[in-house]
Amino acid sequence: MKPPATRKKRPFQRRKVCVFCADSGIKIDYKDTKMLTHFITERGKILPRRISGNCAKHQRELTTAIKRARNIALLPFTVIST
Amino acid sequence: MRRYETIFITHPELTEEELSELKEKILSILTQFKGDLIKLDDWGIKKLTFEVRRNSRGRYFLIDYAAGKDLIRELERNLRLNDRVLRFQTVRTSDELTPEAIKTLKESAGPEKAKGSERIEPPTGIRGGDEAQVEGGEKE
Repeated sequence: MKPPATRKKRPFQRRKVCVFCADSGIKIDYKDTKMLTHFITERGKILPRRISGNCAKHQRELTTAIKRARNIALLPFTVIST
Repeated sequence: MRRYETIFITHPELTEEELSELKEKILSILTQFKGDLIKLDDWGIKKLTFEVRRNSRGRYFLIDYAAGKDLIRELERNLRLNDRVLRFQTVRTSDELTPEAIKTLKESAGPEKAKGSERIEPPTGIRGGDEAQVEGGEKE
């Protein structure tokens, strides 16, 4: 493979695979905060699909799970950093 | 009958008496409206990620049950009126269930009733609490 012609072009990145598709043992559950924290930023935002590499179906499920967890104060809506 | 899951957070400083009173109230609603309790879990006192009615901690309870819509309405009405309940949320976990299916669920949930009640140390300080948060629960 040739190196990229210009610097601006990013080198080829391995295409990320949705973790939930890869391992069907992981279930998306709004009560499972440990699992959900992998998909939120330090500020408490939901990680976009282009970063996490999730498929559309699982990203949708994940979003509702995170929102449910927020409702009952298991996850933060926002984290104000000092 | 459908299967539902309700999580509610109570005030952390409730006495045993007040807790059992609350539990009894819920159980009486369940029997009154012919609901089927699958399990009632006490998660113990947990740190909240943001303040809810000036509380940074709360005691979590999870009720797993099969019920009709009238029961949900009555249960949520009661939780809403109760000052000791900080927040609640009901989620439907399955569609129509046959009585046999409920029975097997009940039996499988039986032995692990006592788990998940470990206590969590008092928080050292929580940020991110916002008083403008909407109180009460949302039904989904």
